[in-house]
Amino acid sequence: MYDIHTAMGHWPFRRVPNQAPDALRRLLEEHGIDGAAVANTHGLFYKNCHDANLELAEAIAPHAGFLTGVATLNPAYAAWERDLAACAEILGLRAVRLAPQYHGYALGDPAAIALVRAATAMGLPIFLPHRVVDVRQRHWLDTEQTTSLGEAVGLCRAVPEARVLVTELAVSAGALRALEGGPVCGNLYLETSRLASCHGQVLAQVVKLMGPEHVVFGSGAPFKEILPAQLKVRHADLTAAERKAVSGGSARRLLGLDRGQSERGNRLPWSHRPS
Amino acid sequence: MRYTIPSEIDCIDVHNHVHPGRDGQLDRTAAAALLEGCTRLRIRRLCVSNPLTGDQPSPEEVRRANDVVLDALAMSDRFIGFCFVNPGFAREAVAEIRRCVVDHGMRGVKLYHQYLVCDPAQTAVMECAAELGVPVLMHAGKVMDAQTRRLQPRLSNAEHFVRAAAMFPRTTLIQAHIGGGGDWEWNLRHLETRPGVYLDISGSVVDAGIVRRTVAALGADRVCFATDGSLEEGVGKLLAAGLTAPELRLICQGNAERLLRLRRG
Repeated sequence: MYDIHTAMGHWPFRRVPNQAPDALRRLLEEHGIDGAAVANTHGLFYKNCHDANLELAEAIAPHAGFLTGVATLNPAYAAWERDLAACAEILGLRAVRLAPQYHGYALGDPAAIALVRAATAMGLPIFLPHRVVDVRQRHWLDTEQTTSLGEAVGLCRAVPEARVLVTELAVSAGALRALEGGPVCGNLYLETSRLASCHGQVLAQVVKLMGPEHVVFGSGAPFKEILPAQLKVRHADLTAAERKAVSGGSARRLLGLDRGQSERGNRLPWSHRPS
Repeated sequence: MRYTIPSEIDCIDVHNHVHPGRDGQLDRTAAAALLEGCTRLRIRRLCVSNPLTGDQPSPEEVRRANDVVLDALAMSDRFIGFCFVNPGFAREAVAEIRRCVVDHGMRGVKLYHQYLVCDPAQTAVMECAAELGVPVLMHAGKVMDAQTRRLQPRLSNAEHFVRAAAMFPRTTLIQAHIGGGGDWEWNLRHLETRPGVYLDISGSVVDAGIVRRTVAALGADRVCFATDGSLEEGVGKLLAAGLTAPELRLICQGNAERLLRLRRG
Protein backbone atom coordinates (compact mmCIF):
# COMPACT_ATOMS: atom_id res chain seq x y z
CA MET A 1 0.00 0.00 0.00
CA TYR A 2 1.32 3.43 -0.96
CA ASP A 3 0.13 6.62 0.76
CA ILE A 4 0.06 9.64 -1.56
CA HIS A 5 -0.99 12.10 1.17
CA THR A 6 1.24 12.54 4.21
CA ALA A 7 3.12 15.41 5.82
CA MET A 8 6.12 16.16 7.98
CA GLY A 9 6.92 19.26 9.98
CA HIS A 10 5.32 21.31 12.69
CA TRP A 11 1.67 22.38 12.47
CA PRO A 12 1.36 25.51 14.59
CA PHE A 13 -2.32 25.34 15.49
CA ARG A 14 -2.77 21.96 17.15
CA ARG A 15 -0.51 19.28 18.57
CA VAL A 16 -0.04 16.71 15.83
CA PRO A 17 1.92 13.57 16.74
CA ASN A 18 4.44 11.81 14.50
CA GLN A 19 5.56 14.93 12.64
CA ALA A 20 9.16 13.80 12.18
CA PRO A 21 9.99 11.51 9.26
CA ASP A 22 11.25 8.68 11.50
CA ALA A 23 8.02 8.64 13.51
CA LEU A 24 5.88 9.09 10.42
CA ARG A 25 7.53 6.13 8.73
CA ARG A 26 7.04 3.95 11.82
CA LEU A 27 3.39 4.92 11.95
CA LEU A 28 2.86 4.12 8.28
CA GLU A 29 4.68 0.80 8.53
CA GLU A 30 2.55 -0.19 11.52
CA HIS A 31 -0.41 0.19 9.18
CA GLY A 32 1.12 -1.96 6.46
CA ILE A 33 2.04 0.98 4.24
CA ASP A 34 5.32 0.52 2.39
CA GLY A 35 5.84 3.92 0.84
CA ALA A 36 4.50 7.45 1.00
CA ALA A 37 4.63 10.86 -0.62
CA VAL A 38 5.34 13.53 1.98
CA ALA A 39 5.12 17.31 1.91
CA ASN A 40 6.60 19.73 4.44
CA THR A 41 3.96 21.61 6.41
CA HIS A 42 6.41 24.48 6.92
CA GLY A 43 6.06 25.26 3.24
CA LEU A 44 2.57 26.56 3.88
CA PHE A 45 3.87 29.21 6.28
CA TYR A 46 7.38 30.24 5.24
CA LYS A 47 7.33 33.33 3.06
CA ASN A 48 10.28 31.86 1.15
CA CYS A 49 8.76 28.41 1.02
CA HIS A 50 11.66 26.83 -0.81
CA ASP A 51 13.46 26.63 2.52
CA ALA A 52 10.83 24.03 3.42
CA ASN A 53 11.80 22.03 0.35
CA LEU A 54 15.43 22.08 1.42
CA GLU A 55 14.40 20.92 4.90
CA LEU A 56 12.23 18.21 3.40
CA ALA A 57 14.91 16.79 1.15
CA GLU A 58 17.38 16.61 4.00
CA ALA A 59 14.87 15.14 6.45
CA ILE A 60 13.70 12.34 4.20
CA ALA A 61 17.11 11.47 2.76
CA PRO A 62 17.58 8.64 5.32
CA HIS A 63 14.25 7.20 4.13
CA ALA A 64 14.95 7.17 0.39
CA GLY A 65 12.92 4.42 -1.20
CA PHE A 66 10.16 4.82 1.39
CA LEU A 67 9.41 8.52 1.59
CA THR A 68 9.13 10.52 -1.63
CA GLY A 69 9.26 14.28 -1.36
CA VAL A 70 6.55 16.65 -2.55
CA ALA A 71 7.75 20.20 -3.08
CA THR A 72 5.72 23.19 -1.97
CA LEU A 73 6.05 26.17 -4.30
CA ASN A 74 4.52 29.62 -4.42
CA PRO A 75 4.15 31.15 -7.89
CA ALA A 76 3.48 34.54 -6.30
CA TYR A 77 6.93 34.61 -4.68
CA ALA A 78 10.29 35.44 -6.15
CA ALA A 79 12.42 32.91 -8.00
CA TRP A 80 9.98 30.04 -8.11
CA GLU A 81 11.47 29.04 -11.48
CA ARG A 82 14.87 28.40 -9.91
CA ASP A 83 13.26 26.69 -6.92
CA LEU A 84 11.27 24.39 -9.20
CA ALA A 85 14.38 23.42 -11.09
CA ALA A 86 16.22 22.77 -7.84
CA CYS A 87 13.38 20.62 -6.51
CA ALA A 88 13.30 18.48 -9.61
CA GLU A 89 16.96 18.33 -10.54
CA ILE A 90 18.83 18.60 -7.24
CA LEU A 91 16.49 17.68 -4.41
CA GLY A 92 14.83 14.74 -6.15
CA LEU A 93 11.29 15.81 -5.21
CA ARG A 94 8.64 14.13 -7.36
CA ALA A 95 5.61 16.38 -7.23
CA VAL A 96 4.70 20.02 -6.60
CA ARG A 97 2.10 21.09 -4.07
CA LEU A 98 0.33 24.38 -4.61
CA ALA A 99 -1.56 25.95 -1.72
CA PRO A 100 -3.20 29.13 -2.98
CA GLN A 101 -5.36 29.38 0.15
CA TYR A 102 -2.16 29.79 2.21
CA HIS A 103 -0.04 31.74 -0.26
CA GLY A 104 -2.63 34.26 -1.41
CA TYR A 105 -3.09 33.86 -5.16
CA ALA A 106 -5.59 32.27 -7.54
CA LEU A 107 -4.96 29.13 -9.54
CA GLY A 108 -5.95 31.01 -12.67
CA ASP A 109 -3.23 33.63 -12.20
CA PRO A 110 -0.70 33.67 -15.05
CA ALA A 111 2.16 32.85 -12.70
CA ALA A 112 0.33 29.80 -11.35
CA ILE A 113 -0.39 28.58 -14.86
CA ALA A 114 3.23 29.14 -15.81
CA LEU A 115 4.43 27.18 -12.79
CA VAL A 116 2.13 24.28 -13.57
CA ARG A 117 3.29 24.24 -17.19
CA ALA A 118 6.93 24.29 -16.13
CA ALA A 119 6.46 21.53 -13.54
CA THR A 120 4.56 19.44 -16.06
CA ALA A 121 7.37 19.83 -18.56
CA MET A 122 9.65 18.35 -15.91
CA GLY A 123 7.31 15.40 -15.45
CA LEU A 124 6.05 16.47 -12.02
CA PRO A 125 2.38 16.11 -11.05
CA ILE A 126 0.63 18.95 -9.24
CA PHE A 127 -0.93 18.35 -5.81
CA LEU A 128 -3.78 20.61 -4.72
CA PRO A 129 -5.01 20.24 -1.13
CA HIS A 130 -8.68 21.15 -0.92
CA ARG A 131 -7.85 21.99 2.70
CA VAL A 132 -5.28 21.03 5.31
CA VAL A 133 -7.70 20.77 8.23
CA ASP A 134 -11.47 21.04 8.43
CA VAL A 135 -12.05 24.79 8.33
CA ARG A 136 -14.90 24.52 10.82
CA GLN A 137 -12.28 23.85 13.50
CA ARG A 138 -9.69 26.30 12.23
CA HIS A 139 -7.44 28.30 14.50
CA TRP A 140 -8.33 31.98 14.43
CA LEU A 141 -5.07 32.74 12.62
CA ASP A 142 -5.53 29.94 10.07
CA THR A 143 -7.25 30.36 6.72
CA GLU A 144 -10.84 29.37 6.12
CA GLN A 145 -10.42 29.36 2.37
CA THR A 146 -10.44 26.07 0.51
CA THR A 147 -9.55 25.07 -3.04
CA SER A 148 -12.66 23.83 -4.79
CA LEU A 149 -13.15 21.08 -7.31
CA GLY A 150 -14.15 23.74 -9.82
CA GLU A 151 -10.86 25.57 -9.35
CA ALA A 152 -8.94 22.33 -9.78
CA VAL A 153 -10.85 21.46 -12.93
CA GLY A 154 -10.19 24.97 -14.23
CA LEU A 155 -6.48 24.32 -13.83
CA CYS A 156 -6.81 20.94 -15.55
CA ARG A 157 -8.45 22.63 -18.51
CA ALA A 158 -5.96 25.49 -18.60
CA VAL A 159 -3.02 23.07 -18.70
CA PRO A 160 -4.40 19.88 -20.28
CA GLU A 161 -1.04 18.14 -20.24
CA ALA A 162 -0.70 18.60 -16.44
CA ARG A 163 -1.60 15.83 -14.01
CA VAL A 164 -3.50 17.38 -11.11
CA LEU A 165 -4.18 15.48 -7.87
CA VAL A 166 -6.73 16.96 -5.47
CA THR A 167 -6.32 15.82 -1.88
CA GLU A 168 -8.71 16.12 1.10
CA LEU A 169 -11.78 16.52 -1.11
CA ALA A 170 -15.16 14.91 -0.44
CA VAL A 171 -16.99 14.62 -3.74
CA SER A 172 -19.64 12.41 -5.26
CA ALA A 173 -19.57 10.76 -8.66
CA GLY A 174 -22.68 12.79 -9.48
CA ALA A 175 -20.84 16.03 -8.80
CA LEU A 176 -17.99 14.91 -11.03
CA ARG A 177 -20.44 14.06 -13.83
CA ALA A 178 -22.19 17.39 -13.47
CA LEU A 179 -19.08 19.53 -13.84
CA GLU A 180 -19.74 22.53 -16.00
CA GLY A 181 -18.14 22.23 -19.40
CA GLY A 182 -18.34 18.51 -19.85
CA PRO A 183 -17.21 15.27 -18.28
CA VAL A 184 -14.36 14.82 -15.85
CA CYS A 185 -11.00 15.92 -17.18
CA GLY A 186 -8.63 13.14 -18.12
CA ASN A 187 -5.84 14.83 -16.20
CA LEU A 188 -7.64 15.03 -12.86
CA TYR A 189 -6.72 12.68 -10.01
CA LEU A 190 -8.40 12.27 -6.64
CA GLU A 191 -7.06 11.12 -3.27
CA THR A 192 -9.32 8.73 -1.37
CA SER A 193 -9.38 9.74 2.30
CA ARG A 194 -12.75 11.52 2.13
CA LEU A 195 -14.55 9.21 -0.31
CA ALA A 196 -17.01 6.97 1.54
CA SER A 197 -17.46 3.26 0.86
CA CYS A 198 -19.80 1.63 3.36
CA HIS A 199 -22.25 4.52 3.14
CA GLY A 200 -23.01 4.95 -0.54
CA GLN A 201 -19.98 3.36 -2.25
CA VAL A 202 -18.76 6.77 -3.38
CA LEU A 203 -15.17 5.64 -3.75
CA ALA A 204 -16.16 2.75 -6.02
CA GLN A 205 -18.39 5.01 -8.11
CA VAL A 206 -15.57 7.51 -8.54
CA VAL A 207 -13.21 4.71 -9.60
CA LYS A 208 -15.72 3.49 -12.19
CA LEU A 209 -16.14 7.03 -13.49
CA MET A 210 -12.54 8.23 -13.54
CA GLY A 211 -10.68 4.94 -13.87
CA PRO A 212 -8.57 3.32 -11.15
CA GLU A 213 -5.41 4.99 -12.38
CA HIS A 214 -6.92 8.35 -11.40
CA VAL A 215 -7.89 7.47 -7.82
CA VAL A 216 -5.07 7.10 -5.31
CA PHE A 217 -5.00 6.02 -1.70
CA GLY A 218 -4.11 8.71 0.82
CA SER A 219 -4.51 8.91 4.57
CA GLY A 220 -3.69 12.47 5.59
CA ALA A 221 -1.27 11.16 8.22
CA PRO A 222 -0.08 12.34 10.62
CA PHE A 223 -2.88 14.93 10.84
CA LYS A 224 -5.50 12.21 10.59
CA GLU A 225 -5.86 8.64 11.76
CA ILE A 226 -4.90 6.20 9.00
CA LEU A 227 -7.43 3.46 9.71
CA PRO A 228 -10.52 5.27 8.39
CA ALA A 229 -8.87 5.77 5.01
CA GLN A 230 -7.81 2.13 4.89
CA LEU A 231 -11.33 0.97 5.73
CA LYS A 232 -12.67 2.98 2.79
CA VAL A 233 -10.46 1.10 0.34
CA ARG A 234 -11.03 -2.22 2.08
CA HIS A 235 -14.83 -1.92 1.84
CA ALA A 236 -15.04 -0.33 -1.60
CA ASP A 237 -16.79 -2.51 -4.17
CA LEU A 238 -13.79 -2.80 -6.47
CA THR A 239 -12.28 -5.57 -8.55
CA ALA A 240 -8.96 -6.96 -7.37
CA ALA A 241 -7.18 -5.07 -10.13
CA GLU A 242 -8.93 -1.81 -9.26
CA ARG A 243 -8.13 -2.22 -5.56
CA LYS A 244 -4.49 -2.91 -6.33
CA ALA A 245 -4.27 0.20 -8.47
CA VAL A 246 -6.00 2.45 -5.95
CA SER A 247 -3.95 1.02 -3.08
CA GLY A 248 -0.63 1.91 -4.59
CA GLY A 249 -0.08 1.20 -8.27
CA SER A 250 -1.69 4.39 -9.46
CA ALA A 251 0.22 6.52 -6.97
CA ARG A 252 3.55 5.02 -7.92
CA ARG A 253 2.75 5.64 -11.57
CA LEU A 254 1.71 9.21 -10.91
CA LEU A 255 5.02 9.85 -9.15
CA GLY A 256 7.08 7.98 -11.72
CA LEU A 257 8.14 5.42 -9.12
CA ASP A 258 7.06 2.55 -11.36
CA ARG A 259 9.87 3.28 -13.77
CA GLY A 260 12.74 2.25 -11.53
CA GLN A 261 13.56 5.80 -10.44
CA SER A 262 12.66 5.46 -6.79
CA GLU A 263 16.28 5.35 -5.73
CA ARG A 264 17.18 8.58 -7.48
CA GLY A 265 17.16 10.38 -4.16
CA ASN A 266 18.39 13.89 -3.72
CA ARG A 267 21.70 15.44 -4.56
CA LEU A 268 21.49 18.11 -1.92
CA PRO A 269 24.87 19.81 -1.55
CA TRP A 270 25.83 21.02 1.89
CA SER A 271 25.86 24.60 0.63
CA HIS A 272 22.14 24.42 -0.17
CA ARG A 273 21.06 23.37 3.29
CA PRO A 274 18.88 25.85 5.12
CA SER A 275 20.62 27.85 7.75
CA MET B 1 -3.57 -3.51 13.61
CA ARG B 2 -7.25 -4.18 14.30
CA TYR B 3 -9.60 -3.44 11.39
CA THR B 4 -12.91 -4.60 12.87
CA ILE B 5 -14.93 -4.16 16.00
CA PRO B 6 -14.57 -7.34 18.10
CA SER B 7 -17.36 -9.76 17.25
CA GLU B 8 -18.29 -10.25 20.90
CA ILE B 9 -19.34 -6.58 21.13
CA ASP B 10 -22.94 -5.77 20.21
CA CYS B 11 -22.00 -2.40 18.77
CA ILE B 12 -24.60 0.39 18.89
CA ASP B 13 -24.30 3.57 16.84
CA VAL B 14 -26.10 6.18 18.96
CA HIS B 15 -26.22 8.84 16.23
CA ASN B 16 -27.37 8.08 12.72
CA HIS B 17 -30.20 9.06 10.41
CA VAL B 18 -32.80 7.84 7.98
CA HIS B 19 -34.31 10.09 5.38
CA PRO B 20 -37.44 10.40 3.27
CA GLY B 21 -37.42 9.83 -0.45
CA ARG B 22 -39.10 12.15 -2.94
CA ASP B 23 -42.51 10.79 -1.95
CA GLY B 24 -41.99 11.79 1.68
CA GLN B 25 -41.91 8.18 2.82
CA LEU B 26 -38.83 6.39 4.16
CA ASP B 27 -36.17 5.97 1.49
CA ARG B 28 -36.02 2.21 1.95
CA THR B 29 -33.21 1.73 -0.54
CA ALA B 30 -30.98 4.14 1.34
CA ALA B 31 -32.01 2.64 4.69
CA ALA B 32 -31.16 -0.85 3.44
CA ALA B 33 -27.82 0.38 2.12
CA LEU B 34 -27.08 1.97 5.49
CA LEU B 35 -27.81 -1.31 7.25
CA GLU B 36 -25.61 -3.18 4.80
CA GLY B 37 -22.77 -0.73 5.33
CA CYS B 38 -23.10 -1.08 9.08
CA THR B 39 -23.06 -4.86 8.76
CA ARG B 40 -19.72 -4.68 6.97
CA LEU B 41 -18.30 -2.73 9.90
CA ARG B 42 -19.97 -4.87 12.59
CA ILE B 43 -22.29 -2.12 13.76
CA ARG B 44 -25.28 -4.14 14.90
CA ARG B 45 -27.83 -1.49 15.90
CA LEU B 46 -28.32 2.16 14.96
CA CYS B 47 -30.14 4.98 16.70
CA VAL B 48 -31.81 6.89 13.89
CA SER B 49 -33.67 10.17 13.65
CA ASN B 50 -34.86 12.48 10.92
CA PRO B 51 -34.27 16.02 12.18
CA LEU B 52 -35.49 19.04 10.27
CA THR B 53 -32.83 21.69 9.90
CA GLY B 54 -35.02 24.69 9.11
CA ASP B 55 -35.55 27.58 11.48
CA GLN B 56 -38.96 26.68 12.96
CA PRO B 57 -40.45 23.44 11.60
CA SER B 58 -44.16 23.15 12.36
CA PRO B 59 -45.62 20.40 14.55
CA GLU B 60 -47.12 18.78 11.47
CA GLU B 61 -43.76 18.77 9.67
CA VAL B 62 -42.15 17.30 12.78
CA ARG B 63 -44.75 14.57 12.97
CA ARG B 64 -44.20 13.62 9.33
CA ALA B 65 -40.45 13.55 9.93
CA ASN B 66 -40.89 11.14 12.82
CA ASP B 67 -43.21 8.96 10.77
CA VAL B 68 -40.23 8.29 8.50
CA VAL B 69 -38.38 6.95 11.55
CA LEU B 70 -41.37 4.80 12.48
CA ASP B 71 -41.23 3.31 8.98
CA ALA B 72 -37.60 2.45 9.63
CA LEU B 73 -38.44 0.79 12.93
CA ALA B 74 -40.99 -1.34 11.11
CA MET B 75 -38.43 -2.20 8.45
CA SER B 76 -35.71 -3.56 10.76
CA ASP B 77 -35.28 -4.22 14.46
CA ARG B 78 -31.70 -3.05 14.09
CA PHE B 79 -33.01 0.52 14.03
CA ILE B 80 -33.60 2.27 17.36
CA GLY B 81 -35.77 5.37 17.04
CA PHE B 82 -35.01 8.87 18.27
CA CYS B 83 -37.81 11.41 18.17
CA PHE B 84 -37.07 14.85 16.71
CA VAL B 85 -39.01 17.82 18.08
CA ASN B 86 -38.97 21.60 17.84
CA PRO B 87 -39.01 22.94 21.44
CA GLY B 88 -40.51 26.18 20.14
CA PHE B 89 -43.88 24.42 20.05
CA ALA B 90 -43.61 23.13 23.60
CA ARG B 91 -47.04 21.56 24.05
CA GLU B 92 -46.93 19.85 20.66
CA ALA B 93 -43.33 18.76 21.22
CA VAL B 94 -44.23 17.02 24.47
CA ALA B 95 -47.18 15.31 22.80
CA GLU B 96 -44.94 14.18 19.95
CA ILE B 97 -42.35 12.76 22.34
CA ARG B 98 -45.09 10.83 24.13
CA ARG B 99 -46.45 9.53 20.81
CA CYS B 100 -43.03 8.38 19.63
CA VAL B 101 -41.64 7.06 22.91
CA VAL B 102 -44.68 5.78 24.78
CA ASP B 103 -46.79 4.65 21.85
CA HIS B 104 -44.12 3.54 19.40
CA GLY B 105 -41.10 2.56 21.46
CA MET B 106 -38.57 5.18 20.44
CA ARG B 107 -35.67 5.42 22.88
CA GLY B 108 -34.50 9.00 22.77
CA VAL B 109 -35.08 12.61 21.76
CA LYS B 110 -33.11 14.32 19.01
CA LEU B 111 -32.75 18.11 18.98
CA TYR B 112 -31.26 20.23 16.26
CA HIS B 113 -30.24 23.90 16.42
CA GLN B 114 -33.59 25.63 16.61
CA TYR B 115 -32.67 26.70 20.18
CA LEU B 116 -29.56 26.51 22.32
CA VAL B 117 -29.56 23.49 24.60
CA CYS B 118 -29.59 25.82 27.61
CA ASP B 119 -32.43 28.01 26.34
CA PRO B 120 -35.39 28.06 28.76
CA ALA B 121 -37.52 27.16 25.73
CA GLN B 122 -36.12 23.62 26.15
CA THR B 123 -37.68 23.17 29.59
CA ALA B 124 -40.81 21.24 28.63
CA VAL B 125 -38.92 18.91 26.30
CA MET B 126 -36.16 18.28 28.83
CA GLU B 127 -38.60 17.55 31.63
CA CYS B 128 -40.59 15.20 29.42
CA ALA B 129 -37.45 13.30 28.43
CA ALA B 130 -36.45 13.00 32.08
CA GLU B 131 -39.90 11.79 33.07
CA LEU B 132 -39.83 9.11 30.37
CA GLY B 133 -36.23 8.18 31.13
CA VAL B 134 -34.90 8.75 27.62
CA PRO B 135 -31.73 10.68 26.69
CA VAL B 136 -31.59 13.86 24.65
CA LEU B 137 -29.07 13.81 21.79
CA MET B 138 -28.39 17.25 20.38
CA HIS B 139 -26.57 18.59 17.33
CA ALA B 140 -23.55 20.54 18.56
CA GLY B 141 -20.22 22.07 17.73
CA LYS B 142 -17.79 24.91 18.39
CA VAL B 143 -17.45 26.10 14.82
CA MET B 144 -14.80 28.61 13.86
CA ASP B 145 -15.65 29.46 10.26
CA ALA B 146 -17.90 32.30 9.19
CA GLN B 147 -20.08 30.23 6.88
CA THR B 148 -21.16 27.67 9.48
CA ARG B 149 -21.61 30.36 12.11
CA ARG B 150 -23.90 32.22 9.73
CA LEU B 151 -25.90 29.11 8.86
CA GLN B 152 -26.19 27.83 12.43
CA PRO B 153 -26.34 30.85 14.73
CA ARG B 154 -27.89 28.87 17.59
CA LEU B 155 -25.51 25.94 17.49
CA SER B 156 -24.81 24.68 21.01
CA ASN B 157 -21.28 23.98 22.24
CA ALA B 158 -19.90 22.38 25.38
CA GLU B 159 -20.25 25.54 27.41
CA HIS B 160 -23.98 25.55 26.64
CA PHE B 161 -24.23 21.86 27.52
CA VAL B 162 -22.59 22.44 30.89
CA ARG B 163 -25.18 25.13 31.61
CA ALA B 164 -27.99 22.85 30.43
CA ALA B 165 -26.76 20.05 32.69
CA ALA B 166 -27.19 22.41 35.64
CA MET B 167 -30.59 23.61 34.43
CA PHE B 168 -31.96 20.13 33.72
CA PRO B 169 -30.17 17.81 36.16
CA ARG B 170 -32.66 14.97 35.72
CA THR B 171 -32.18 14.82 31.95
CA THR B 172 -29.46 12.74 30.26
CA LEU B 173 -27.71 14.95 27.71
CA ILE B 174 -25.60 13.63 24.85
CA GLN B 175 -23.57 16.25 23.01
CA ALA B 176 -23.37 15.13 19.39
CA HIS B 177 -20.37 14.52 17.17
CA ILE B 178 -17.13 15.56 18.81
CA GLY B 179 -15.81 14.96 15.26
CA GLY B 180 -18.50 17.08 13.66
CA GLY B 181 -16.18 19.72 12.41
CA GLY B 182 -15.84 22.21 15.21
CA ASP B 183 -13.00 22.83 17.65
CA TRP B 184 -13.16 19.51 19.49
CA GLU B 185 -10.30 20.40 21.83
CA TRP B 186 -12.26 23.44 23.04
CA ASN B 187 -15.25 21.21 23.75
CA LEU B 188 -13.14 18.67 25.63
CA ARG B 189 -11.53 21.35 27.79
CA HIS B 190 -14.97 22.52 28.86
CA LEU B 191 -16.31 19.06 29.61
CA GLU B 192 -13.26 17.43 31.19
CA THR B 193 -13.89 18.69 34.70
CA ARG B 194 -17.68 18.83 34.58
CA PRO B 195 -19.71 15.65 34.84
CA GLY B 196 -23.24 15.33 33.55
CA VAL B 197 -22.81 15.46 29.79
CA TYR B 198 -22.12 12.51 27.47
CA LEU B 199 -20.33 12.83 24.15
CA ASP B 200 -20.70 10.85 20.97
CA ILE B 201 -17.65 10.39 18.74
CA SER B 202 -19.39 10.75 15.39
CA GLY B 203 -18.60 13.09 12.54
CA SER B 204 -16.26 13.12 9.59
CA VAL B 205 -13.26 14.52 11.49
CA VAL B 206 -10.64 11.84 12.18
CA ASP B 207 -7.86 13.99 13.60
CA ALA B 208 -5.06 11.94 15.09
CA GLY B 209 -5.84 11.23 18.72
CA ILE B 210 -9.39 12.60 18.75
CA VAL B 211 -11.00 9.55 20.37
CA ARG B 212 -8.10 8.77 22.68
CA ARG B 213 -8.17 12.34 23.97
CA THR B 214 -11.94 12.33 24.30
CA VAL B 215 -11.80 9.22 26.45
CA ALA B 216 -8.89 10.62 28.46
CA ALA B 217 -10.84 13.84 29.11
CA LEU B 218 -14.26 12.42 29.97
CA GLY B 219 -13.66 8.79 30.89
CA ALA B 220 -14.93 5.83 28.91
CA ASP B 221 -18.23 5.81 30.77
CA ARG B 222 -19.25 9.17 29.26
CA VAL B 223 -18.36 8.45 25.63
CA CYS B 224 -20.62 6.73 23.11
CA PHE B 225 -19.75 5.22 19.76
CA ALA B 226 -21.53 6.91 16.87
CA THR B 227 -21.01 7.72 13.21
CA ASP B 228 -23.65 10.24 12.06
CA GLY B 229 -23.33 8.53 8.70
CA SER B 230 -19.52 8.73 8.54
CA LEU B 231 -19.17 4.99 8.96
CA GLU B 232 -15.52 4.27 8.23
CA GLU B 233 -14.54 7.41 10.09
CA GLY B 234 -16.43 6.32 13.20
CA VAL B 235 -15.08 2.80 13.30
CA GLY B 236 -11.60 3.74 12.12
CA LYS B 237 -10.93 6.44 14.68
CA LEU B 238 -12.40 4.28 17.43
CA LEU B 239 -10.13 1.33 16.62
CA ALA B 240 -7.14 3.64 16.19
CA ALA B 241 -7.51 4.96 19.73
CA GLY B 242 -5.76 2.02 21.36
CA LEU B 243 -8.50 1.51 23.94
CA THR B 244 -8.59 -1.37 26.37
CA ALA B 245 -11.16 -4.12 25.84
CA PRO B 246 -13.34 -2.88 28.74
CA GLU B 247 -13.21 0.70 27.41
CA LEU B 248 -14.15 -0.48 23.92
CA ARG B 249 -17.07 -2.48 25.29
CA LEU B 250 -18.36 0.46 27.31
CA ILE B 251 -18.12 2.92 24.43
CA CYS B 252 -19.57 0.61 21.78
CA GLN B 253 -22.23 -1.08 23.84
CA GLY B 254 -22.41 -0.66 27.60
CA ASN B 255 -23.04 3.08 27.78
CA ALA B 256 -25.69 2.98 25.07
CA GLU B 257 -27.46 0.03 26.68
CA ARG B 258 -27.50 1.87 29.99
CA LEU B 259 -28.66 5.22 28.57
CA LEU B 260 -31.25 3.67 26.28
CA ARG B 261 -32.37 1.10 28.85
CA LEU B 262 -31.86 -1.73 26.42
CA ARG B 263 -32.00 -5.20 27.84
CA ARG B 264 -29.48 -7.71 26.53
CA GLY B 265 -30.46 -10.99 24.93
